[in-house]
Amino acid sequence: MQFKDYYQTLGVARDATADEIKKAFRKLARKYHPDVSKEADAELRMQEVNEAHAVLSDPEKRAAYDQLGRGHRPGETFRPPPDWDAGFEFTGQAYSPGETADFSDFFAELFGHMGGAHAGTRHARTGFRAQGEDHHAKVLLDLEDSFTGATRQISLRAPKVDPQGRVQLETRTLNVKIPKGVHAGQVIRLAGQGAPGMGGAPAGDLLLEVQFKPHPRFRAEGRDLHRTLPVAPWEAALGAIVAVDLPQGSVKVRIPEGAQSGRQLRVRGHGIPGQPPGDLLLDLQVVLPPAKTPRARELYETMARELAFDPRAQEKD
Amino acid sequence: MQDDDILIGCLMEDSWLTLEQVAAACSVEPVWLIRHIEEGLFPHAESVAGTWRFSGASLLRARRMRQLERDFDAVPELAALVADLLEEMDTLRALTRQAVPGRDR
Repeated sequence: MQFKDYYQTLGVARDATADEIKKAFRKLARKYHPDVSKEADAELRMQEVNEAHAVLSDPEKRAAYDQLGRGHRPGETFRPPPDWDAGFEFTGQAYSPGETADFSDFFAELFGHMGGAHAGTRHARTGFRAQGEDHHAKVLLDLEDSFTGATRQISLRAPKVDPQGRVQLETRTLNVKIPKGVHAGQVIRLAGQGAPGMGGAPAGDLLLEVQFKPHPRFRAEGRDLHRTLPVAPWEAALGAIVAVDLPQGSVKVRIPEGAQSGRQLRVRGHGIPGQPPGDLLLDLQVVLPPAKTPRARELYETMARELAFDPRAQEKD
Repeated sequence: MQDDDILIGCLMEDSWLTLEQVAAACSVEPVWLIRHIEEGLFPHAESVAGTWRFSGASLLRARRMRQLERDFDAVPELAALVADLLEEMDTLRALTRQAVPGRDR
């Protein structure tokens, strides 16, 4: 296990005040916020920053860490002496066990046994029964999975209390069947796969929130599927029947005569399957053939001469 | 992979999560959720016959709001405003990805 210098992570001096630590954390929390950061490793850095903050913002954990870490350098191999934490009482719980599951092994080794784990052991001894917590994870699927159904392997890292009351991080791999017709925002509930219960009570559930990976052509909104459909000028002007590829198979669609770019066609029942199935929504985009050959130029020139068409006529009214 | 290794889950409808499920899955207290709902800061919840139920999107919303309040000492109204903007950004990013294939942001 490598020693982690939490002061270096937050960029503060070892004698920084609580206010300086808070300011440094907020600055980094903004910089590495996963929703807005443009840094490539934002999520990982945010985890490190959260971990450093969880320790340094808590006076008890900070004091214990300072005492333990004296003379150690970051990255150095490190093993805490037995009962190193005797005399410290950890009470702060700004970060839940679910959140600290993302922290490093260094953190889990040092502070994994505090708070909830002790409380759980105490309750168990006095006959306390409580159902385990529900856990929540996100599962990223291909859009095609909702058309065919799929089995996905999901790895989860969750804290687990050992017989000594210490919390260890445990990686579990689950094979989960994804039902056909699932759509983004839905939740798959796996009964009994959450946190274990206390005193013989049942385990909690695992809630898997479904999201789709970005698809090059389709965008899903609920059960409806959106895509842009490129059409030739003559297909738009004269009407046509064109084959449209779907995530699974294809469908023939009638383009109405006189269609324009930006018009939306709704094909009922060809979205994500279900009861009822969603619709397929096609945004028409008229694509012009390039005037690269003499013949193509001639055709454009004939249209220009004979159609007397002014696309900006309305602007002149 | 053996067939009996495969877990078959129960698919929950959008508005099927209970208050306790959202609170437990997002590490927030049920009273925290109720207070935010009552103050109109949590639009992904609806009351049916006196019982609150939540859409799947409320899991992400609750986590975001709690982190904003904790990390920046944000007042709940500000956390809700930022969560609204992030949700709007999620929608726009999805639209952008479709308009410009291969673009992530």
